Amino acid sequence: MFRFIIKRLGIAIPTLLILIVFSFTLMHSAPGGPFTSERPLPPQVLANIEAKYGLDQPFYKQVTNYIVGIVTKGDFGPSFKYKDRTVNDIIAQGFPVTLKYGIWSFIIAVSVGISLGIVAAIKHNSIIDYFAVGFSIGAQVLPNFVMAPILVIIFTLWLGWLPGGGWNGGQWQYLIMPIIALSTSYMASIARIMRSSMLEVLNSNYIRTAKAKGLSNRQIIFKHALKPALLPVITYLGPAFVGMITGSVVIDMYFSTGGIGQMFVNSALNRDYSVIMGITILIGVLTIAFNLVVDILYAWIDPKIRY
Amino acid sequence: MVIRSKKIAQMAENLAAHEMGESHSLWADARRRFFKNKAAVISLVVLTLIVAFAFLAPYFTKWSNEEIDWAILGSVAEDGKPSFARGHYFGADPLGRDLFARVAQGTQISLMVGFVGAFIAVIVGTLYGAIAGYFGGRIDNIMMRIVDILMSIPYMFVLILLLVVFGRSIFMLFVGLGLISWLDMSRIVRGQTMVLKNKEFVEAAIAGGSTKFTIIVRHIIPNLVGIVIVYASLLVPAMILTESFISFLGLGVQEPNTSWGALISEGAGTVLYGTLWQLLFPLAFFVAGLFSFFFIGDGLRDALDPKDR
Repeated sequence: MFRFIIKRLGIAIPTLLILIVFSFTLMHSAPGGPFTSERPLPPQVLANIEAKYGLDQPFYKQVTNYIVGIVTKGDFGPSFKYKDRTVNDIIAQGFPVTLKYGIWSFIIAVSVGISLGIVAAIKHNSIIDYFAVGFSIGAQVLPNFVMAPILVIIFTLWLGWLPGGGWNGGQWQYLIMPIIALSTSYMASIARIMRSSMLEVLNSNYIRTAKAKGLSNRQIIFKHALKPALLPVITYLGPAFVGMITGSVVIDMYFSTGGIGQMFVNSALNRDYSVIMGITILIGVLTIAFNLVVDILYAWIDPKIRY
Repeated sequence: MVIRSKKIAQMAENLAAHEMGESHSLWADARRRFFKNKAAVISLVVLTLIVAFAFLAPYFTKWSNEEIDWAILGSVAEDGKPSFARGHYFGADPLGRDLFARVAQGTQISLMVGFVGAFIAVIVGTLYGAIAGYFGGRIDNIMMRIVDILMSIPYMFVLILLLVVFGRSIFMLFVGLGLISWLDMSRIVRGQTMVLKNKEFVEAAIAGGSTKFTIIVRHIIPNLVGIVIVYASLLVPAMILTESFISFLGLGVQEPNTSWGALISEGAGTVLYGTLWQLLFPLAFFVAGLFSFFFIGDGLRDALDPKDR
């Protein structure tokens, strides 16, 4: 197991480095510097500003300085647009918001999705099974950016129950629509995967043996069927996590929740390169760390896996 | 003495018919299976209608997608409703342009993004996967490690970065989509190639003195067509989804061009003013389009998947 973790880390670290170098190069090769404006600055002033941000140094030095800054001090550098704020400030402001509704969405998508999948499989060809199948097909074409306006039409425009956007310190009224919009399509996918893998497991020989032995249904499902049936779901958790992080950009933009997604798009439109890079790297680290956890979880649950 | 009965004659006829059935080619078989699948056939019809709408709609309206209807500009929320009297079948967008023409234009662009994106994925992914799978060993190891690394990058963020740095245009969108879309395809193709390369016909080709390149292009890739088609048909909606996502954020297709995502974004932004048609018409096309692609993909998989045979 230890060797397996080391090996996975051996992929994770170069991946991060590639991500950093790639995005840094992209940023560097952009036509026009970050301080190009309609009214050109006097060359002396421009030189001073560039010296302040270290832009006068050779490219390789800038990259290494940037990486060293992140690794040793966790410092993503200053924002190019807001002179008094660093990238860390901006991330520290937005990240808790994203984290709050993100974690709730993830928990709800996974728990409801898995339960729905199990129930649908146990009650195969019942009404609830048809509902689960219909839901998982329908939700495929209802990604977050479709769900969000539909929810606003229903809950804000017609029923008037929930505010159409904003955050307000994360009160529950402001959390409901972002969570539903973000989690629905993943919930449906998890339910679909869970249902089909549970059906497969329930039809296998060792479950028949367990039934023949006279075990109760509860014991069969929770002790014998659940663990192997969960494996495909666990594989899906990685992509689901990435999808939700990506989806948070839409949620932040549409509901003006003020999370990092909103900051990402705003800085993308403002060409605030250091903020864009900071957020990209943060997301990259999260994604890679999460995938690592999923891989380890998988190896732990599935005794057949070799490392 | 031979007993002749209706039953035996019937049997003989059946046998003959069966023999004729045997001569069906692989593709005829697949086509038969596909057309048995009701959902897929209906989806094919719906998709055809959508494509027809995209290209024919401009001939059925007096408004072009760029013209502003000055008569309703100040009061789109009241006068911009869908109406035949004014000639705005789907109503008007927030700028007073005809939504019917805009949806047609958006449908064209979304479909184009879907197909071009999938096409790039098919070409790059198939070649990459086939080469990695056929050569195996260290080459395979390195090539697949690269794919692993690229796959664990949060691509949507990199794609947005790319669009910001090099300017927001449809061309850059294609480059960005093309960069990421082939990864899954290459994995699937590689797996299939590794199975194929040990088959007798490859051995025969090697014995016949074919070069490795010829074997890959002439013998391996033609045998991958089924799986590639199935996967490509699922890639088209995936590409459309990605493009819509980016356009929804205002970072993808730019004015005066538009796409389903951009139209949905526009409509979603004005929902609270009560101009629901601006959201619902593009949304209906988006949902119907994606649904048909998914069902057609499913149908193709059932028709072509080697596992089912």
